[in-house]
Amino acid sequence: MREVIKLGSILLLITAIAASVLAFSNSMTEGVIKDVEAAASNEARKEVLPQADNFNSIEEDKLSDIQQQNNKILEVYEGFAGEELVGYTIKTATPGYGGNVEVITGISVEGKITGIKVVKHQETPGLGANATGTDFQAQYIGKPVEKEVVVVKTAPTEDNEIQALTGATISSKAVTNGVNIARELFNSMLSK
Amino acid sequence: MSLLKTFKNGIINENPVFVQLLGMCPTLAVTTTATDGMGMGLATTSVLIGSNLVISLLRKVIPDKIRIPAFVVIIASFVTLIDMFMHAYAISLYNSLGLFIPLIVVNCLILGRAESFASKNKPVQSIFDGLGMGLGFTLALTILGIVREVLGVGSVFGIQLFGAAFKPAIVMILPPGAFLALGVLIGTLNWFKNKKAKNA
Repeated sequence: MREVIKLGSILLLITAIAASVLAFSNSMTEGVIKDVEAAASNEARKEVLPQADNFNSIEEDKLSDIQQQNNKILEVYEGFAGEELVGYTIKTATPGYGGNVEVITGISVEGKITGIKVVKHQETPGLGANATGTDFQAQYIGKPVEKEVVVVKTAPTEDNEIQALTGATISSKAVTNGVNIARELFNSMLSK
Repeated sequence: MSLLKTFKNGIINENPVFVQLLGMCPTLAVTTTATDGMGMGLATTSVLIGSNLVISLLRKVIPDKIRIPAFVVIIASFVTLIDMFMHAYAISLYNSLGLFIPLIVVNCLILGRAESFASKNKPVQSIFDGLGMGLGFTLALTILGIVREVLGVGSVFGIQLFGAAFKPAIVMILPPGAFLALGVLIGTLNWFKNKKAKNA
């Protein structure tokens, strides 16, 4: 009995020390991690909407209205060049092969897709994970918002077509679905 | 055992992957490209050095009967610490390695070295054991990653090797390819070893 108490208290001591070290480091890094993440998100928004130099999230009420209609939309930001509104960035999460694929789509006020970026995914490395490659993502730049973007397996012939990644049609479609949701949101609400 | 010998032991004689067959889960799961294999190896090495050092320092404090839970707590704390600090201060490294860090907690190589080496040896020796085993693990994962990337994608460390005429065997970057590549590699190494033993 006495041994059990002794062993138990040693283990308690070890876990207590571990917990306090972790709690201390967590309080030290928490703020920094938040800043770093915020900077990274801002950087990603800038990549998809290069004309803008600062971004503001749209009002809470408006965003929750949008999300009630389509829960795949995560974030909507307005991009400004100085004071002038130049476009929007819309973050969506659409199901891919290994889980949700999060895509940020940039759309200019003129109604052109200015860029897309896959920011989070669990697709197969070497196949679907190639969706993060610049070659694949660059295909979306300049597509008009009026037409639905479609995925094809061969070289695209129409201006609204995207060539699928080799062996990863599902991942390519997930990205494209995200872009289409962003496009529809722009057409139905933001362009007015 | 001398420090150099301890170090060499981990890389060659008792290579964690090719000889001890430890840490198979990350070995099979993250070696789709050479870069990923190397990243996982280096992240594991840093945890291994840290956990070996702490466990070696505490080897006289931790009673034998509760050593396993104590080791697991220490290893998990180390992994979490590295995860937090890397996320805060080395974001680009975190973006490429962050995915692998939580996987290290369940890597039996770390617990294996804690149990069979660090809990019985002095701190400096244990650091060298961690370094040797870690680099041995890194070497094995990088080789496996190179083989799978060359055959499955036609590139190495992301650099294309062949022209468009090369049709890569996609199976090599899928899970079955991991088993095939690992099996053939271990078989080849054992064949060389047996041949050497016979000639000697």
